[in-house]
Amino acid sequence: MNFGFTPGEEKLRQEVRDFLKKEVTPELIAEVAQYCGGAGPVFGRRLIQKMGTRRWLCPTWPKEYGGMNSSEMVGFIIRHEMTYAGAPVSLVGATMAGPTILRFGDDELKKEYLPRLARGEIDMALGYTEPQAGSDLAAIELRADDKSEVPAIEKGEVQVEDKGDYFLLNGQKMFNTHAHFVEYHWLGARTDPSNPKRHRGISLMVVDLKSPGITIRNMTTIAGWKTNEVFYDNVKVPKKNLVGERNRGFYYIMTALDFERMFPVGGFQRLLDELVKYVKETKRDGWPLSEDPVIRQKLAEMAIELELASLLYYQLAYMLDKGEVPNYQSSMQKMFATETAHRLADVATQIVGPRGQLQTGSKWAPLDGEAELHYRWGFIETVYAGTSEIMRNIIALRGLGLPMLG
Amino acid sequence: MDYGLNEQQEMLKKTARDFLTAECPKSLVKKMVGDAMGYTPELWRKMAELGWIGLIIPENYGGSGCSFLDLAVILEEMGRACLPGPFFTTVVVAGMIIMESGSEVQKKELLPKIAQGKLIVTLARTEADGGYCPDKVGVRAVANGSNYIIRGTKLFVPYAHVADHIICVTKTVNGVSLFLVDGKSPGIKYNLLKTIDGDKQFEVVFNRVEVPTGNIIGKEGHGNITLRRVLGKAAVAKCVEMVGGAQQVLEMTVDYVKDRKQFGVPVGVFQAVQHHCANMLTDIDTSRFISYKAAWKISERLPFGKEAFMAKAWVSDAYKRVTKLGHQTMGGVSLMEDHDMPLYSKRAKAAELVFGDADFNREVVAQELGL
Repeated sequence: MNFGFTPGEEKLRQEVRDFLKKEVTPELIAEVAQYCGGAGPVFGRRLIQKMGTRRWLCPTWPKEYGGMNSSEMVGFIIRHEMTYAGAPVSLVGATMAGPTILRFGDDELKKEYLPRLARGEIDMALGYTEPQAGSDLAAIELRADDKSEVPAIEKGEVQVEDKGDYFLLNGQKMFNTHAHFVEYHWLGARTDPSNPKRHRGISLMVVDLKSPGITIRNMTTIAGWKTNEVFYDNVKVPKKNLVGERNRGFYYIMTALDFERMFPVGGFQRLLDELVKYVKETKRDGWPLSEDPVIRQKLAEMAIELELASLLYYQLAYMLDKGEVPNYQSSMQKMFATETAHRLADVATQIVGPRGQLQTGSKWAPLDGEAELHYRWGFIETVYAGTSEIMRNIIALRGLGLPMLG
Repeated sequence: MDYGLNEQQEMLKKTARDFLTAECPKSLVKKMVGDAMGYTPELWRKMAELGWIGLIIPENYGGSGCSFLDLAVILEEMGRACLPGPFFTTVVVAGMIIMESGSEVQKKELLPKIAQGKLIVTLARTEADGGYCPDKVGVRAVANGSNYIIRGTKLFVPYAHVADHIICVTKTVNGVSLFLVDGKSPGIKYNLLKTIDGDKQFEVVFNRVEVPTGNIIGKEGHGNITLRRVLGKAAVAKCVEMVGGAQQVLEMTVDYVKDRKQFGVPVGVFQAVQHHCANMLTDIDTSRFISYKAAWKISERLPFGKEAFMAKAWVSDAYKRVTKLGHQTMGGVSLMEDHDMPLYSKRAKAAELVFGDADFNREVVAQELGL
């Protein structure tokens, strides 16, 4: 056993930390909050491009695609530092779509997208969820032979027609975060409706979001940032944009989730650090908050839980570097980290007191309203990318081998 | 980072699992609760022969010189088996106090005998007020010529009735001092305490017990410093033992819910049950990682305080939650005394209340945060 980092890892961590300390400005942090943790059009893009030139965006990728062949541990360390500094870390291209292209895509697809992703020039938005396919992702609908009169768009599903060298898509996706400011849609759509096994007829494809026929409609989340409904109206997608084999998309999505489902907690570590500083400097009713035994208990509790979330996080890197595929472990980390994060935001607003409800920008808001923001954001995090309940199902089924109903 | 055991530790784990499965069945554990000794000298001898009792004692004092992590591997298996007896108090608590602060003479005299299984040593620290802080001691030792005289009452002294020596924590002129007291000294009285898990814990009354000055362990007045270090390590050792118990509870539970049918299906198909099991595994994995991280730091001689307190704070509650869910999931059958579950749920409570519960340890973590 060894729970320490190598000298090389420590050195890199310090370099990344120093770099981010210089580069992450309040304007960038505000933009990150506005664009759901993604690389927004102005400051975020500029930052990830600078990281790209250092090969820090996709460090584990081969050099030819813009990586540096690093261990997963290095990638995890960089992402931790990015969250601690407040940099955008919700990068679908670099952390989800890109690795899937690397693993399953053909050469043409790799050359087309990977170097640009690694340089931070482009990004993608997930296009999985449909109105009727949320936690049950295999319910992604579409019957190419469906002759019913009801337009697919009104039934809330995406229809794919095979037109020889391209697919013709009609229908609707929803909760596709980042779709209104990134270049590509990482789309899961049903290409074989005749297959009775629901998860065996879905394909993954890259869609240019500027394609004629795509309409994006914003939906504002509780955390203030926008996610989207994406409507497809006779959109042509070249078949070369297919990722891997046709009809294998569901497996690719699930594999990607095993590899990519992780939740660095650096941002919450920073919130805790700031909160500790705040209680040391603040008096209420004449008494230092730091002497309040209840506050001391709560902060210690959060420090412990963040340490555990971090141990679960680096365990994933350890497994990946050993050649193992985390399955229940990534679900556990996502569940534990997001639930901890929401509790921390809750505790933070309580400690701040009545002013805990003040938002960023208010002159009276302690910690610049970060607690309030994270409290709203926390509702989302235990739902998206797999609800805590789905995570618990996965832990029970895969981690403990419990039987499935039916 | 490396979250795995090395080859030697994997072997140690397997040996421990096989040995304890054969030699320490639950029937023995349950019998020992009602037994006056509380353990069998035969099992004690066999553990000494395996080298477990002297595992972390340096080779020049007759031990095997293994690391704290190696010890952790065995302790986890002991927790799984609910091993009764004075192993923990002799090896982990008293043994480490002697290794940490004993004089050369004391080490040479005591450690080889401990390693051979010929000496049982225990610690008398807790008093009636029940505090966990090593600085607060009420029992006094007063100098009298070349001796000290100890008066007062200690509680929760494990296996005092069979201890060759009791390390008594006292208040002396310059602070807290540790005395090595002969267990058969005139003036010592033992009364078995009736506790939740029936482990052998005693009230020990020191009625003008005379101890030679040379029996002070470490410097007079510096006992709290020794205790702080040793009890931190002992807390981590207790945590890995608790992890072993929790793991066994989960395995029993999973076996049960795969097999037990209600409404025509195994109860393990129900999401309410699945989520209980998922929560148990989450508590166990997190408990294991924080406990072993602390154990690794101890092994590497790195500062371990923060992780040790974090571990005891977390595992104290986590193990209880696991036993609660184990009962809840297995239902009525698990509530019967002849089932194995009560052994674990009672031990989880007893383990919580030694070396500081979650509240106590969280307060220390708060201090570590600079509060």
